[in-house]
Amino acid sequence: MISIHQLYKTYHRGTESVEAVSGIDLEIIKGEFMVILGPSGGGKSTLLNLIGGIDHPTAGTITMNGFALDTASEESLTRFRRDHIGFVFQFYNLLSSLNAVENVSMPLMAKGIAFKQAKAKAVQILTRIGLENRLHHRPSELSGGEQQRVAIARSIISEPELILADEPTGDLDSLNAQAIIALMHELNKQMGLTFVVATHNLRLAENADRVIELRDGKIQPNHIDKTK
Amino acid sequence: MEKFNPTTLTKLSDVFRFVIKDLISDGWRSLLTIISLAVVVVGYLLLASLAQAFVILTRQAQVTNNLLIVSANTIDPMDSSLGDAVLQTAMEITPDQIQHAFPIIFRHLTIDGRIMQVRAVPLEEMPTALALTLIQGYWPDGPRQVVVSEGAAQQASWKIGSIVNIYGTNFLVTGLVRSTENAFGSLWMTYTEGQDLFGTSHGFQVGCLVLVSTANPESVRLKLLADPRISADYSVYLENVFTNDYNQSNTNLLILSGLMVLVSLLAITFGIYNATSLSLTERSFEIGTLRVIGFPLSKLRGFLFARALVLTLAAYSLGWLVSFIFINHQRTQASVDLIFLTLRLTAYSSFFGLGLAVLFAFLGVWLTSGRLAGLNPLNGSK
Repeated sequence: MISIHQLYKTYHRGTESVEAVSGIDLEIIKGEFMVILGPSGGGKSTLLNLIGGIDHPTAGTITMNGFALDTASEESLTRFRRDHIGFVFQFYNLLSSLNAVENVSMPLMAKGIAFKQAKAKAVQILTRIGLENRLHHRPSELSGGEQQRVAIARSIISEPELILADEPTGDLDSLNAQAIIALMHELNKQMGLTFVVATHNLRLAENADRVIELRDGKIQPNHIDKTK
Repeated sequence: MEKFNPTTLTKLSDVFRFVIKDLISDGWRSLLTIISLAVVVVGYLLLASLAQAFVILTRQAQVTNNLLIVSANTIDPMDSSLGDAVLQTAMEITPDQIQHAFPIIFRHLTIDGRIMQVRAVPLEEMPTALALTLIQGYWPDGPRQVVVSEGAAQQASWKIGSIVNIYGTNFLVTGLVRSTENAFGSLWMTYTEGQDLFGTSHGFQVGCLVLVSTANPESVRLKLLADPRISADYSVYLENVFTNDYNQSNTNLLILSGLMVLVSLLAITFGIYNATSLSLTERSFEIGTLRVIGFPLSKLRGFLFARALVLTLAAYSLGWLVSFIFINHQRTQASVDLIFLTLRLTAYSSFFGLGLAVLFAFLGVWLTSGRLAGLNPLNGSK
């Protein structure tokens, strides 16, 4: 599904160069739950940004279902993300002026679907993940766990093939973190969604199909692979 | 090329729904933006009304065959002083071109607390003097009678039958008149009454030469000025040129008003630019997030245009309401010297102003395009 070949990303800060991702080769299989572990600054978020077409690589190729993310224009990457990729962030990234239903409806509205139809689907998804009593609450009126569940609902509403989650439990207490982990695994199993999750949380890795460790921008050899 | 798909067009009602929600969530800041833009709109509407009043005021005077003689180097006719001899001389220079001549006494006076023009002409010349037309009542047919211009009657609330005290003497208003310079507040009496009232020591101020219909006014004027008996002490104008010279300062005010209208519209542009720029800076994170989840720049730009449109419409409505109340409640009449300018908020200037305000507001949004394009998805990926 995703093929990454000799991927590099170098940042320049003044005269200093930092190689955040350094020669990564990786294949991501449709329907798998992959966890990327590693210390802060190891390149996890950078790799996720490159896979999601949010950032451009310095060198190397990334293709998803034949679409070359490394050479695509900004606007075609936007359309590609809209149609194929869902995102979950550590700090939820919900729009503060909108309620839960409206936040979840956004990806469908980006596709040009009228709010009325988008809202119906958003209500359905929020109900499915247990937020039927929080539909019209704004982010400031929701707990961290609830906000992250809204963010997950937003990531799956347009039925993408891939969900990229960057530290999805990083801002949650252990109880809420456990619930979010369970929800992501449930969506992976029931909907067949592919998950790539960057995290420090080892509990996320427990039921993952594959765990890789990223250190200094390189994949370490001691990874776990249950897909084989 | 991507195939056209009608579903990629977000419904306008949805866009405005989210714009209004966004503005409401911004609370006081949205309100202050609307109020500050409304202040500019009030400025625009009042200036537009003033400019319109100047347009009416500076309308070209009707072209007549009359020539006017005044003392040399005179701008204000009141400064002129003529005697019968100059009219006689003019008749002698071009006897076959001038049908007849008559004197006009011209004064600026304070009447009922307002500065007015008082003019005295022979009764039989009133219809020909400066294309005067009787629109109500009758011409003076007895002693101590005057006709008044529409502007003066409106300003001073005079009607036919009103008694007006001029220079210590009471006069009866017998009619309302309109002339090509109807913006002037003027009262007209017979020449005999004028002489009785003001005396004869300063003669009269303007000599009016009525030409035969076949005469070329400019040729006659040049012929008169070629004669040293005229050119030494007098100036000769085509009647409309004289009026237009008098109105030149008003024309300058019209230009100034027009420039100030433009400045107020530019203020709308920069007001929207500032509001939009501030919004973009503060929401770079949210905009980045929207880019991450798939909103193309065109949709975000459309949202900003819709936001500017709502702000402008709200500000314009508020500004228009304030201007309407101010102009109509006060029945605003600006008096410049003895010229009355009636401010009116017309449908034309209101809608034209709205169109321009929206256009200039969109220009303000357009100026922020570069800043929006600079907000890439990485801003929302943190």
